[in-house]
Amino acid sequence: MKILRDANLCHGCRACEVMCSFHHRRAFSPEWSSIRVVRDNATGGISWSLDPTTCDMCEGEEQAFCVSYCPYEALRRGS
Amino acid sequence: MAKYHIQGGLAGKILRVDLSDGRIWTEETAKYAERWIGGRAINSYILFNEIDPGTRWFDPENLLIFGAGALVGTSLGANRMSIETKNVFNNGKGSANVGGHFAAELKYAGFDHVVVSGKAETPVYLWISDGKAELRDAGALWGKTTYETEEMLQRELGDRGIRVACIGPAGERLVRGSLILVDRAKAAGGSGVGCVMGSKNLKALAVRGHGSIEVADPQAFLDASGLALRKVKASPTSKPMWKDTLSGTYYSDPMTPSWDLLYVVRNGQDDYWEVEKRKRIMDPESGVPGYRKKVLACFNCPIGCMPFFEINEGKYRGTRGEGFWVNTLMSAAMLDIAEPDVMLKAWLLMNDLGLDADFAVGMIAWAYECYEKGLLTQKEVDGLQLEWGNSDALITMIEKLAYREGIGDFLAEGPVAASKKLGKGSDYYTIHMKGQPTIEPFRIPKGWALAVATSPVAGRHLRGATLGSSRFGPRGASFEPHVYEDQAKYVYWQGLTKEIEDLTGICVYVGTWSGARALEVSDYAALLNSVMGLNLTEEALMRMARQGRNLEKAFNTLHTNMGRQDDLPPRRYMEEPVKSGPYKGHRCDREKWDEMLDEFYELYGWDKETGLQTRTCLEELDMHDVAERLGKAGRLVGE
Repeated sequence: MKILRDANLCHGCRACEVMCSFHHRRAFSPEWSSIRVVRDNATGGISWSLDPTTCDMCEGEEQAFCVSYCPYEALRRGS
Repeated sequence: MAKYHIQGGLAGKILRVDLSDGRIWTEETAKYAERWIGGRAINSYILFNEIDPGTRWFDPENLLIFGAGALVGTSLGANRMSIETKNVFNNGKGSANVGGHFAAELKYAGFDHVVVSGKAETPVYLWISDGKAELRDAGALWGKTTYETEEMLQRELGDRGIRVACIGPAGERLVRGSLILVDRAKAAGGSGVGCVMGSKNLKALAVRGHGSIEVADPQAFLDASGLALRKVKASPTSKPMWKDTLSGTYYSDPMTPSWDLLYVVRNGQDDYWEVEKRKRIMDPESGVPGYRKKVLACFNCPIGCMPFFEINEGKYRGTRGEGFWVNTLMSAAMLDIAEPDVMLKAWLLMNDLGLDADFAVGMIAWAYECYEKGLLTQKEVDGLQLEWGNSDALITMIEKLAYREGIGDFLAEGPVAASKKLGKGSDYYTIHMKGQPTIEPFRIPKGWALAVATSPVAGRHLRGATLGSSRFGPRGASFEPHVYEDQAKYVYWQGLTKEIEDLTGICVYVGTWSGARALEVSDYAALLNSVMGLNLTEEALMRMARQGRNLEKAFNTLHTNMGRQDDLPPRRYMEEPVKSGPYKGHRCDREKWDEMLDEFYELYGWDKETGLQTRTCLEELDMHDVAERLGKAGRLVGE
């Protein structure tokens, strides 16, 4: 299982990144996140990446936060 | 006085920078937050306390204050930053508010606010990174556009994650209506904040943060944010915003009633724009939507509304960038230019050169009208033909204004100075509030106009304007946008919720603003309480909102002579009725306006005759120190 992103739906808001850090530390910091979102303001480009070594699919939570808190439904669990 | 014990949500420090001697130091945010929570309220308090009334906007003693909302970096929808300084148009309260990703980065870098004083001898930029800050030489950046500045800073500092807030050539040249641009797209436009930044020789702030923000009660936060997200998703306006947005103008259908309410045409000659022109600019294929490549979001925003455009053919081929606002359409009507590629080009160019669009369009539309009326000759406008609809001239005029070339230098000083210099009765055609150009409608939507006219920051719509009733708004009041009755109640309520939004940093679109029907005051309370460890009720928040608004009012009273007479609409709109369309004949009726103003002042507890504050009104809000300062200056009514 892993987290899959639909680039066409992603708005680059970084909610997934923020909520991922909240899962890991119960505080907010993009540094603790397994997800990295980098925006390029010149092109409107959004680069999204997930570190599989630190992502534990939100073990212990009811749902994966990045999926449930994505307002645009751009993320889902898949394989 | 309530004293809040803050346990989360804040980065914890305020960064202080004196550009005159290069000194940099910090202080605890808690010192201010325990009374004012965060965001604009803290900015306003620092500004009120630390600047003497005689200070002019360009004096080194003026402050330029950046403040992230208290919830920025934590809650969904919270990403906004308030910028406070002296208003370049009237020396009263200057304020602008901006979204994007800068404020969150600032908090992760360890700072809630940045207070800039003094004036640098040569151009500098402020580099903020993980609890540290330094001033660096901006010689190479000076003269560059905002887009170039961001590009150069990210390259120089070697990190695409760096967020930049900067001025363009307009701000450097002290064009009054200059903006501070964030993320190449989000404009802190009003009050000439970019002009003040230019006067301090401060080109940019660049920030990068790898720190963290604590939350007081994680489980309560999950409950509050879960509910908030469900409300956003259930809102009928959310999805149209993030799916089909043109930044707030999701009502792209040219027959939507808001088109008949909102658009001022040809510098206020009429308030009705022909349907053919609306169709032309908004056509799904050949209009503005046809150039939209994607829609982007501000930090942690659930209704991302910023379209990114590319023009791939025609005269403006190669133009690309983010941004198209309801004000872009208002600008098109004001100039009577229905060409979508031109308006896109104009909008992105104003951002790139650092010009506030409402200012630039207001001044340029005035010049077009003066040309039409024979008050400005072709020679005086550098040989241009400023005929309504001449779009090539618009692009040239924007460049002239930003670089203060020829006619642009004359317009750059703003409507009061320019019309005084020109004379010949040209002041009648200047459409401004408290000295700042406004392109807002006054004659048709009465409450909207009241909010714009009473805005403490001069002629902008975010301090209480609304076009629709709200399921959260005042009870027992009817809402009809084009009638006077009950509008004061809505403007009062909407203005207060905006105060709360600006102390949290939550965007109005996610919140209570006209059209957006997602979060409400109870959500703000739940989010603030869980993140900061507080126990605020809705009533307590509404009271804090009244305190915030009163603080701004007090600043204006202390620093200017503005009063009731400055809350009246531009003269033209009281004298000339709307000429065509469904609201033909509407104008600002002085008697009814006065009644509306009376009710508005009464709701705030202000004196009706002068429009100013009383000791009672301030003391009821525990603002004894503010009352004391106004009293000593002889600026309290009845003393």
